[in-house]
Amino acid sequence: MTGLGWQGFAKLVFAQGDALRDGKAERATKPLIIQAQAPLKVQRSFYPEGPEVCHTTILHTAGGMVGGDRLSIDIQAQANTKVLLTTAAASKIYGSYGQSQVYPQGQLAQQQIQIKLEAGAYLEWLPQEMIVFDGAIYRQDLRVDLAPTACWLGWEITRFGRTARGERFLSGEWRSQTEVWQQGHPVWIDRQSLNGGTAMLDSPHGLAGQPVVASLIWLGQAVDQAQIDQARQLWLASSPQGEAGVTELELGLLCRYRGPSSQEAQQWFVQVWRILRQVYWQRSVVLPRVWPL
Amino acid sequence: MITRTELMLINNSLALMSLLQLASSTLPVGAYSYSEGLEYLTQTGAIRDRDSLCHWLEQELSYGAIRLEAGVMVRAYQTSDLDTIHAWNRWLSAAKETAELRQQSWQMGYALVRLCQTLQPTSLVNQCEAPCNFAIAFSLAAAHWQIPLEATILGYLHSWASNLISAGVKLIPLGQTAGQQLLLHLQPQLSQVSQEILTLEDDQLHSFGWGLALASMAHETQYTRLFRS
Repeated sequence: MTGLGWQGFAKLVFAQGDALRDGKAERATKPLIIQAQAPLKVQRSFYPEGPEVCHTTILHTAGGMVGGDRLSIDIQAQANTKVLLTTAAASKIYGSYGQSQVYPQGQLAQQQIQIKLEAGAYLEWLPQEMIVFDGAIYRQDLRVDLAPTACWLGWEITRFGRTARGERFLSGEWRSQTEVWQQGHPVWIDRQSLNGGTAMLDSPHGLAGQPVVASLIWLGQAVDQAQIDQARQLWLASSPQGEAGVTELELGLLCRYRGPSSQEAQQWFVQVWRILRQVYWQRSVVLPRVWPL
Repeated sequence: MITRTELMLINNSLALMSLLQLASSTLPVGAYSYSEGLEYLTQTGAIRDRDSLCHWLEQELSYGAIRLEAGVMVRAYQTSDLDTIHAWNRWLSAAKETAELRQQSWQMGYALVRLCQTLQPTSLVNQCEAPCNFAIAFSLAAAHWQIPLEATILGYLHSWASNLISAGVKLIPLGQTAGQQLLLHLQPQLSQVSQEILTLEDDQLHSFGWGLALASMAHETQYTRLFRS
């Protein structure tokens, strides 16, 4: 017994090329390198909004991560490419604490994601909800490196405990670090950490008794006050159950959500995403077909 | 003739007075104009009395952004290399979760750097690149005055708590005596947290403060505001 679980990886490189449409050459984003090792799999790219934006879905074929699993995803978007990445289903992090006689303290499940965006590239990282089971011990490190004119939109939607069956995050540890760097300098550092079963679950300073937290981050291009106001109005207009806020970052925008429903968070994020795409890329949103929305 | 013991005493008393000056609520950096979300939280009732304010401050000290900030202060204090100082200063700016919290840190930092141009003309704090975060400026000014590191962190956290209690006294409102009782009550935790912060590895600089981030974002659109954060 080595204590090691799946050691999966995926590598995705996107490059600019040409595509013929109606007899005319158009700019296209094409997958240059797609490699994956179980349990990760990358589905064939598709182009629901034309050749310029490449939609690609990453699939976890084992259903979820257990203690000892390590996943590593390496993404590179070359100059002027436009990429939308999502996951085929909700991610699950199974409980590890107290689950095994060999490892009564549980084992770490770890995921590392590296995203490099070259000049003029625009990448959307839109994974579906992650469900962190009670007893899960999980660490995620997401690092984005932006070239000066590159732009990144990402979100993370996390549910603590399988709330449908009344489960809460009473034991275990969750860490999620998102860092965005530009030319060797940090532009967004978000290092989150939650210990299961502590006062953080119910404190108004922490989760305030809610199971879901979510963030949307847009970086690489400063936003106008108008977009911040719009994002706030969209939230208020949705008669929300949870709490949310919008603020300006040094080179972008941040939305945070805390509440009962990952769907509520995602629906609002889609609306904000729609505005940002429209204003900065003059494109409407085409929802990935794998989403249950 | 001054003996060695006397010199140490003089040094210690100088350090103590310097710390009292730096951590004083009369330091002209405008700390009193920031509530760090308390103005919103008292409006919603999430903070409504001494106990709920106490709980909030304890959670922030144990898991919040203030802990991460103090961890960065340790790193700025311990180096005289400007590149390292600038790297941590930028790191701290990038870790500020909301526009108001970032502006607060930069504006108070700017005021302290301005002050130090006169009070500490040879200090490294004058070379901190703008925008300089308040925690970085405080740390460099403390190092210049040879205030021991642990006392620096303790003084910083104490002045932070004292300022927020003072905001709470106005907002909830609480009696002045209740505010002072609360500050006294926080002493053991302030002492414990400042010791823990000295031992944190870089990888242990993390926090969990969704309540603060949401309150600070909501404060940006609060209808009537006495405070700037």
